[in-house]
Amino acid sequence: MTVTEPIAHVVPTPDRAPTGGGKPVARKRAKAGVYHTAMTVLVILYILPVLWAVSMSLRTDAHMFDADQLIPHPITFDHYANLLAILPDFGRYVGNTVLIAVVGTAGTLLSSSLAGYALARFTFPGQRALLMVILLTLMVPAQVTLIPQYVIFRNLGWIDTPLPIIVPMLFGSALPTFFFRQFFLTLPQELEDAAAVDGAGRWRTFFAVMAPLAGPAYLAMGLLTFVQLWNSFFVNSIYLQDQSQWVLTQALQSLVGRYNSQYGEIMAGVTLVSLPIVVGYIFVQRWVVRGIAFSGVAN
Amino acid sequence: MQTSPDTRRRHNPRRREAGTALLFLLPQLFGLVAFIGLPLGVSLYYSFTHWDLVAPAPTWIGWDNWAHLTDDERIPKVLWNTVKFILTGTTSFLLFSLLAALVAYRPRRGVAAYRALLFLPYVLSQIAVGIVWRWMFNTESGPINGAFEVFGLTGPEWLLDPRTAMASIALVTTWQGLGYGMTLYIAALHGVPDALPEAAKIDGANAWQRFRHVLLPMISPTVLFLMVTSLIGALQLFDPVVAMTASGGGIAAAGGPEDSTRTVVLYMYNQMFNYNERLSGLGYAAAIAWVLALLTFLLTLGQWAFSKRWVFYAGETTSTKGGRG
Repeated sequence: MTVTEPIAHVVPTPDRAPTGGGKPVARKRAKAGVYHTAMTVLVILYILPVLWAVSMSLRTDAHMFDADQLIPHPITFDHYANLLAILPDFGRYVGNTVLIAVVGTAGTLLSSSLAGYALARFTFPGQRALLMVILLTLMVPAQVTLIPQYVIFRNLGWIDTPLPIIVPMLFGSALPTFFFRQFFLTLPQELEDAAAVDGAGRWRTFFAVMAPLAGPAYLAMGLLTFVQLWNSFFVNSIYLQDQSQWVLTQALQSLVGRYNSQYGEIMAGVTLVSLPIVVGYIFVQRWVVRGIAFSGVAN
Repeated sequence: MQTSPDTRRRHNPRRREAGTALLFLLPQLFGLVAFIGLPLGVSLYYSFTHWDLVAPAPTWIGWDNWAHLTDDERIPKVLWNTVKFILTGTTSFLLFSLLAALVAYRPRRGVAAYRALLFLPYVLSQIAVGIVWRWMFNTESGPINGAFEVFGLTGPEWLLDPRTAMASIALVTTWQGLGYGMTLYIAALHGVPDALPEAAKIDGANAWQRFRHVLLPMISPTVLFLMVTSLIGALQLFDPVVAMTASGGGIAAAGGPEDSTRTVVLYMYNQMFNYNERLSGLGYAAAIAWVLALLTFLLTLGQWAFSKRWVFYAGETTSTKGGRG
């Protein structure tokens, strides 16, 4: 039931042909023009801090604080070169970060999707209770479990290695498990029945039929987990105290203490640490956004 | 979610099904026990001990850590700082991301680009974002107070003034999280059938009334989800505080000015590696962590109980099937 009204508050989909006389259409266009102008200004203002940081990393010291130079006039890469001189182990930090993010993400995806599949598609006693327990763990602050874990990992000699961060990730975590459960619930039961008729067991059904169909879910959860691990700081600062074991966020934070006033180098660091995530985000933002929306509202 | 028994496989006793399920669940169950269940119990035990990690084992000291919580004058301080952050940061996050969703939820040409750009800060690390904003807030050379000066005004001292430091951090976390909240609200708003606001419009409801009495109740489950999760996150505030207030002495030097941004988690970190006194170190840190856990639990339960009064779930058909919301 659509209401026919000249100045439609209900905005039509873009490709729908405009209806009615010329005047309302013109007014509608003007309204859209105002909307887009306002939104463009707001969004540019919104991401200005990000653009500003990149800009500062490329400025010469003489122009560092020029307010009118969003696009730096003499462009210089000196700050990047200096940064690598200040942090000679930068390549190592990249390696440490990549290792943690890649292995941690892969482990979480595998364990969580297996558990999510079982919670969605099997019937077994205690199913609902287990789901509740998994969701309740979201309420347990990581800080509470951190202290005993620290003691255990210390006794194992794992401090200043990436193991205390990677190993717990291999066993899945609550949010991805819940997310995968929700996703598998949306796949039709017939697929599974068909696989069973063809003689496939549960494992084959999972790996050959269900998991490939869950591609978008893997992509969305994988990206979120990867971003979270790439950006994490608190846990790393507990376990990785030796400088050679640092991850990128720790290296970045260390600049603030020691090179407080070297804005060019600091912003070069910010840019370098953020760049892979931003580039990745540009390519896959469609799925990230969809995944976020899905995980939040599917209740 | 439940399938009736007759659609199940031919020769598949329930027991076998449960056995296979267990195998699928094994990694998750192991993680649940090894990295959450056990440590929870052990940290409760540690909270009754003193341990400086130099000694071979923790020493039982009974309720001393818990008693110290009540006479440590920094405890009310760090709790209050965390509350300050909830009142400013969490509230503004919930409000402004809803506003952003309302201006960007209708499908128009180009709107996807706005949404993508607003979401961008969310994928950056809180450390990187904090460092950039620390510069934005700089009272001498930073662009924000530079803008104040253009109008002949003197800006606030932001991170340097104990009265505004936590609010400044709240501003940054709101800025960073806005796109995430907006995305969830937009997804919820898309779930509202068009007929509802239109019918209200025919009945003469104005824009505010349509929002207040039609849209808001329809998206209330998402509001609750965001309230609960952002509160849990707010209680664990750490990275942004370190990025914006630490200098020189590393993490230990964060939390200023005058302790105005020292959060519960930052204080726990401070105590964890502080072995100088009997009532510090791992045992006292464990007690602080338990306070945090109890607080999280109570506040979440409170929100849950209170939500019955205002959260509206449309029909059983959509809420339990787990479809697309």
